Amino acid sequence: MTVVIGFEGSANKIGVGIIRDGEVLSNPRRTYITPPGQGFMPSDTARHHRAVILTVLKEALEQARLKPADIDCVAYTKGPGMGAPLVTVALVARTVAQLWGKPLLGVNHCIGHIEMGRLITKANNPTVLYVSGGNTQVIAYSERRYRIFGETIDIAVGNCLDRFARVIKISNDPSPGYNIEQMAKKGEQYVELPYTVKGMDVSFSGILSYIEEAADKMLSSGRCTAEDLCFSLQETLFSMLVEITERAMAHCGSQEVLIVGGVGCNLRLQEMMGVMCKERGAKLFATDERFCIDNGAMIAQAGWEMFRSGQETDLEDSWITQRYRTDEVEVTWRD
Amino acid sequence: MATDAETHSGTGRLEFSLDVPFPSSREATIALRSLSPDKEPRKGGITKQLTVTDNLLSVRWSADEARILRVSVNSFLDHLTLVIETMDMFGPPVDP
Repeated sequence: MTVVIGFEGSANKIGVGIIRDGEVLSNPRRTYITPPGQGFMPSDTARHHRAVILTVLKEALEQARLKPADIDCVAYTKGPGMGAPLVTVALVARTVAQLWGKPLLGVNHCIGHIEMGRLITKANNPTVLYVSGGNTQVIAYSERRYRIFGETIDIAVGNCLDRFARVIKISNDPSPGYNIEQMAKKGEQYVELPYTVKGMDVSFSGILSYIEEAADKMLSSGRCTAEDLCFSLQETLFSMLVEITERAMAHCGSQEVLIVGGVGCNLRLQEMMGVMCKERGAKLFATDERFCIDNGAMIAQAGWEMFRSGQETDLEDSWITQRYRTDEVEVTWRD
Repeated sequence: MATDAETHSGTGRLEFSLDVPFPSSREATIALRSLSPDKEPRKGGITKQLTVTDNLLSVRWSADEARILRVSVNSFLDHLTLVIETMDMFGPPVDP
């Protein structure tokens, strides 16, 4: 049996999870929530993580009913993400690894999402849509790499949603994306927005600028409601994502789609992807907020795969990195 | 904890040093190895050196401007506090 503890804190969530051979033993998490109209800044987010990380770690051990001696490897997020929060989490991971005399393992955050999605859904070799506040990528596995077939050329889809939420002062509790999703259900009118698929890639910054500019005028003149804008934005963004995912599937001859990342728990996105999959005779795999949204278990799971294939990270090489592409990692645990 | 800041008349650079005592050299070494891997975020203008002698962790900064020095020392102290809290809660270290 191999037990891995995983530390995640690359954005506004801080989580510690423990995995024992595919079984999630514990996965506590906290979210740094800012007031409406405000995003989360790196230094404030790091302060939040510093204040709660040891409590979350204690919870993870208690819920799993494990002692430090039972753990085989300490995994943490090496990147990509915000520098200050990443350092906070790495410091605790390095310190406990040394205190407990366990090997350390730096994990790519994106790989964590993919491996957690594969574990939970049992998808074998899916085309992966990874959508979150910091990343938007269509990924397929080939020859020991998770290869990026398409991605955003500017901001992430979740960043576009979050920043739109700030413009019209939607609450960040539990998350701006969740609140947009609920409001979109009450939208009645589709407002036409730019649609910017560029080959295999997508662009969201122009859509954001357009809706930021238009929102105030349209809402104050009563031409549409905030709910209509939420609905229209979701339909436009998600259509673009479904389009590039479908094109990647056609390229790879793939019959499976796995959606991971925080935006992946949006049920409207899952529904639209499901329609496309049904038309192609393909299967859709998705998870719920426990595993889609950043969490510690996903780092533990990727760490488990890496550790079992013989990888470890020396302390002197355990520096964090804000930029760390999914395709930089050699996948030593798959054929 | 002992600190010392001065401007070196020779180089014109600001120097700052900090000594942190730990219960043992083992803990001082753990702190050093936890705090060393991440390099200073900015490319120049500041250097930071960490060393351990017995149970003492010593840090020495050399910077061009007080502003840069302050940011680095502040963030180091935040990091140091977190490492010490982690040791208090999840230590002492197991026998190697």
